[in-house]
Amino acid sequence: MNFILEKQALPDLLQTWRANFDVYLPQNLERFTHFMPLAAEGVTVINEPHNTRIPPKALFLPMTETLVKFTRFGGYENAKHEIEPRIVFALRPCDAQAVQLLDTSFLQVKYSDPFWLERREKTITVALGCHEPCDNGFCTTVGYGPFNKADLDAMLTDLGDFYLVETFSEAAETCFNGFANASETICVQALEVQQRAHDQMPVAFETENLKEKLEQNFSSNYWDKVSLSCLGCGVCTFLCPTCFCFDIVDETQRRERVRNWDSCMFRTYSLEASGHNPRPSRVERTRQRLSHKYVYWLDQVNQIGCTGCGRCVRYCPVGLDIRSMLRQAQSLPFEVSHAS
Amino acid sequence: MAERPGIALFQCQWCLFSPTDQDWVDNHLPNNIYLTKTPCTGRINPLYVLNAVQGGADGVMISGCLPEQCHFVTGNITARRQLEEFNDFLNHIGYEKQRVRFVWLDLQDRGMIQKELAAFEEELKNLGRAANLVTRMKVAEGEQNA
Amino acid sequence: MPDIEAIKSEAKRLLSEGMVEVMLAFKAGETPLHPQPAFFRTPDDVDELVYSSLNQNNLATYLTRLPKESKVSMVVRGCENRSVNALVVEKQKSRDNLYLIGVPCEGILDWRKIVAKAGEAVKSVNESEQEVMVESRSGYYLVERKELLHDSCMRCSHPNPVSADILIGEPLAESDSNLAREAVEEFEALSVKERYAWFRKEAERCIRCYACREACPMCYCTECFVDHIEPRWTESGATPAGMQAWHIVRAFHQTGRCTSCGACERACPMDIKMTYLTEKLNHDMKEKYNFETGLDAQTKPPFATVTLDDKNRFMV
Repeated sequence: MNFILEKQALPDLLQTWRANFDVYLPQNLERFTHFMPLAAEGVTVINEPHNTRIPPKALFLPMTETLVKFTRFGGYENAKHEIEPRIVFALRPCDAQAVQLLDTSFLQVKYSDPFWLERREKTITVALGCHEPCDNGFCTTVGYGPFNKADLDAMLTDLGDFYLVETFSEAAETCFNGFANASETICVQALEVQQRAHDQMPVAFETENLKEKLEQNFSSNYWDKVSLSCLGCGVCTFLCPTCFCFDIVDETQRRERVRNWDSCMFRTYSLEASGHNPRPSRVERTRQRLSHKYVYWLDQVNQIGCTGCGRCVRYCPVGLDIRSMLRQAQSLPFEVSHAS
Repeated sequence: MAERPGIALFQCQWCLFSPTDQDWVDNHLPNNIYLTKTPCTGRINPLYVLNAVQGGADGVMISGCLPEQCHFVTGNITARRQLEEFNDFLNHIGYEKQRVRFVWLDLQDRGMIQKELAAFEEELKNLGRAANLVTRMKVAEGEQNA
Repeated sequence: MPDIEAIKSEAKRLLSEGMVEVMLAFKAGETPLHPQPAFFRTPDDVDELVYSSLNQNNLATYLTRLPKESKVSMVVRGCENRSVNALVVEKQKSRDNLYLIGVPCEGILDWRKIVAKAGEAVKSVNESEQEVMVESRSGYYLVERKELLHDSCMRCSHPNPVSADILIGEPLAESDSNLAREAVEEFEALSVKERYAWFRKEAERCIRCYACREACPMCYCTECFVDHIEPRWTESGATPAGMQAWHIVRAFHQTGRCTSCGACERACPMDIKMTYLTEKLNHDMKEKYNFETGLDAQTKPPFATVTLDDKNRFMV
């Protein structure tokens, strides 16, 4: 279903949703935007061409989450999180795509993560398409796009005074109940905007045979070159919408077992109890990060594990750029495999 | 304030020369005082103090020997430089300065520690419960997490 | 601005004469806002070298990552020079293995402030002594340099390298060192409650990515206290206790070692203010022990030197 949503009507609509849902939308925090619960009033919808700093994966996989609580005398019980039905509003298509990618890890046939599942089931995602290209994004390069519709309940397209709302699920349709249906011409107009936005995104690097090149040059000195100035902090992984590594620790003082975000760029990530570290330096860790996104994820689910949001490019303290790393990878030697 | 203020006492094991005092500290401390005995004040890492503060101590008392009386020659002076600065720093981010107190005991002193603790407790009563920087949940003996 | 050709020719000379193995400086990044730290090993590599006020990192952080005996040359600004000195004092690097090309620094431009002023998609940044010309998607912006300087650079009192082997460019006037003190005093004038509220607001935005740690030249411990398993010093998650402990101890470990370069703050992806913590410690070190970090390569920091002379101060 396609609806028309006047921009003036949007604040009221958000407030109506608040009656039944927790509404999360990007709001200004310091000098960046952050997904925060909607307050009773005074909220503006931000449609600047940039992303929130913390990706919305944090709404599904919190930075710190209690899994199990222990009692004093050896017993334990599973932690309960009270998760209200919620609407995540104005997330960008790249981030929504990332959540779908994470589903492949958290919701597998045999085992699924109960907390992730509950949060996913209770969430309606309403995306805001990017009609203006963002600064460092490269979503079209990796096969997604500024109006990528994967895993969304609804998407908004900015058409000047109003948004065109496309809904893809019944839950989302009820959210927009009562709004005027969009005419054919408006839909065509929206398509043009979407196409134009798609065309405006630059192609940052070629993805053809990238997987083979990275895979076959596992021990090349290419990795030394690209990781030379890496500091080894966790900015790129913590701000990445598709990075989901976590670490489980027992907070004994609080008698809780806790799951925290972890990063493959840390020394302690792969450190073994014996003291041996299979990824002893930043070279191996950089290789792991890039290969996970551009090799292993393709092996596992046949999708590139990077949605091109550009956060790692923008916030890297030393200006390392995944786009240029992969551009350099294009000149690596490789052989075509005939297996597939 | 109904309860007595909680005090974390870091004590250098050499600073109480009198066996009577040491016996009192070891065996007869009131329940509101939590004792940590260290080999020297120089062993007190600022992280110990931070742990006590975050864990909800209303006050931290550090007792050590006077300069030139240190069993390890300079341990106490090192500690003083560090811990005094740490106290200033905690004060900078909002932990009242009076809540950390240093007691430098002369080896000749007798019965000082009791008096000092009582005076400190009196001061803490006036200050009230510590609220800032108390971020760790307190787990009292036999109680559920607060 | 210093003569970049002079820097390059000096760097080429050093590398071609074999005086140093590696040259630490910046090269142009993918985006105009982010020049990248680079390691130049041959004279030809040096052609890529750039020097601009957007070079936001403290290059001294790489010194402890290179082999200890390697001969290194660096392009250093005031703060970087002081960091190098501090590392030499701590015996992390021998001064004999270092050749410092000094550049008087006019302050580092904060890319976040540039984006806030000029908007997204910055295409180019051109600077002169007083003004900065920024071209972005929405047009051209001529901004006063002062408005774009990073906070810690505004308080900087030693813009000139103190012990460079060669100085390129004219030394700048040493600015008023009271600015840092005023900032500390201004903060201390707030009530205890307000100070804690501020600290809490800043610290609890932390995502514990440790970019501040890695960007800092003085944070070179092989194992940081937060990575310890036994004893576990603090909670490792993004909980209030863990985040606050991290910020307190990270800063406190810099007592008498921090050069106020502000690299931690610039590296932070969450725009957390951190220099108000280290400035306080630096301020105290200056007041109590008349010590400023890195002004020479011999004086040990106060916590590493104890004398019985200072006993009287503690008689409380």
